[in-house]
Amino acid sequence: MVAEKYYIDKSQWESIARDWLKQHEIIAPQQETGGLFFQPVHRGNLHSVVYHLARSVQPLKTFLLPPLEEVVGHPVEMKKPWLFLGVKACDLQALPILAQAFGGDFADAAFQKRLQDSVIISCDCTEPWDTCFCTMVGGKPYPEKGYDLNLIRVSDGFVVEVGSLRGKGLLEGHESMLKDVLKEDKMNIEQSRSEIEKRVIAQNAKYPVKGILRELVGSRWESPAWSEHAKTCVECGACNHACPTCHCYFLDDVTRKAFVKLRGWDSCMYSGYAVTAGGGTPRPALVERFRNRYFCKFKYLPENYGQLGCTGCGRCIEGCQGQIDMRSTLKDLSGS
Amino acid sequence: MNPYASVKAKIEKIIPETSGIKTFVVRPEKPFSFKCGQFAELLVPGVGEGPFAPSSPYYQPELLEFTIQNAGYMTSRLHAMKEGDAVGVRGPYGNGFSLEQFHGHDVLLVIGGVGFPPARALLHGLLHDRNKFGRVIMCYGARSPEDIVYKYQIDDLKKKIEFSVTVDKANGSWNGNVGVVTTLIDKIKLDLAKTMAVVIGPPIMMKFGTLKLMETGFKPDKIILSMERKMYCGIGQCRHCMIDHYFICKDGPVFSYAQLQDLQDIWE
Repeated sequence: MVAEKYYIDKSQWESIARDWLKQHEIIAPQQETGGLFFQPVHRGNLHSVVYHLARSVQPLKTFLLPPLEEVVGHPVEMKKPWLFLGVKACDLQALPILAQAFGGDFADAAFQKRLQDSVIISCDCTEPWDTCFCTMVGGKPYPEKGYDLNLIRVSDGFVVEVGSLRGKGLLEGHESMLKDVLKEDKMNIEQSRSEIEKRVIAQNAKYPVKGILRELVGSRWESPAWSEHAKTCVECGACNHACPTCHCYFLDDVTRKAFVKLRGWDSCMYSGYAVTAGGGTPRPALVERFRNRYFCKFKYLPENYGQLGCTGCGRCIEGCQGQIDMRSTLKDLSGS
Repeated sequence: MNPYASVKAKIEKIIPETSGIKTFVVRPEKPFSFKCGQFAELLVPGVGEGPFAPSSPYYQPELLEFTIQNAGYMTSRLHAMKEGDAVGVRGPYGNGFSLEQFHGHDVLLVIGGVGFPPARALLHGLLHDRNKFGRVIMCYGARSPEDIVYKYQIDDLKKKIEFSVTVDKANGSWNGNVGVVTTLIDKIKLDLAKTMAVVIGPPIMMKFGTLKLMETGFKPDKIILSMERKMYCGIGQCRHCMIDHYFICKDGPVFSYAQLQDLQDIWE
């Protein structure tokens, strides 16, 4: 009987992961120029998977909800089930939003299959980026739910937390490599989790925000902060495309070998986003579109799907050409 | 069932309405059951889709009518199509009107421009069960006499309901009302206690129509609006049609003004 937590030696961990390669396509962060990128894993690069640090450059939607896909025609299919390795808490947080948005009465079966068939093996963050602010939006730099397995680095190996029956199944046949977690490791984990959380809190202390974000943003329809922070926006859409929860899309009917319908990532920052055939739009001014993005994240998505649309991953800050920092906007909203 | 896929349909007939508006009579391969006020995504294969409410009766699911203005890329390609050409429909989407809500009430329709097609679907619903409703009154505003749709049915309609029409700009041969549609409301004696109003039309008309009704003494929950915004999916995913947290395509397009009045930016 598999218990909740195990210790696995790093070299033995890799032999288990090699075994999974037979049944899964493993996708995991690798260090590249410009940062950590989710990349396909094979026997040759398994050893260089980055388990520590913090979130990767791309969000998981890059795979689950491809930037451009035939939704009528040939949707993206997995040859083998995907196994995401090294997913951080802020990306796990985004998945329930995507699952709900593309579920329900008009569920996108291709997306749901990709999501349900994907194995999620997460990791604790060990080195938050300076753009990380999960603690400002109610998150933590380590996963609490939503994973099949969670890995925590300790000395020469990992403590593996089992989060689902599927996760438990992945360890079957490898029982000989699973060891009890040492009391000392348990204490170290608790301590390091608390330290890293404190670091995230400390690095965001310069963005004090009073009260509940949802209520704060919802009550600031009129605020000088909107035009102030929208000033340097160049409407590139990077904040949308890098965001793990943004999922607005356009549809485009085109003729390939047959008529197909494409779905592509859209951006609510684009001036043409909501333009109707007659030329009208509810948000002609950039500052209105800028404000709408915050309202979507902190008011509309919570009402639609029961959680904030922001997981504090900081990708919108990292990707912004205009150096717009959501934390700074929130701080100024709070002060205005 | 792929929610993005359409059912093939044939254009059986094209009725020119005005210089820029045509009615397309479309027969889908499978009956398209809908409630009045619901809409379909009408597909021009390889070109694009648009959300349109059928203007035909809900009890006639095998033959749909769409009255469509030539206003953009997809509609211009649609207007270039001929009888016999293939299109696609998917849906029905949205909540539609609740006819039960109007039972025992007088119904006042305040309609502008190409708001007439969805209003016509509602009229079909009201007239189909005529004795369940009180007076049916329609105030219709068009830009000019040339922009009036369903001219060939208006005489018949006048026999069945209280129908008045006005144009923003008259020309030589017009001897009817001139002025925006709200000017017609003053001319009607209403029993506010038992009247429900329905407003459908372009955003600016809907705004002033609604405000006029409020001024007249209607309660917000007695004003029913059929809203419109940019839409791709029609199924509550793509988020282009949001008003605040509402998906017009899924939570609407029919709302009471009571639902919307406290929200920001409801009129485009």
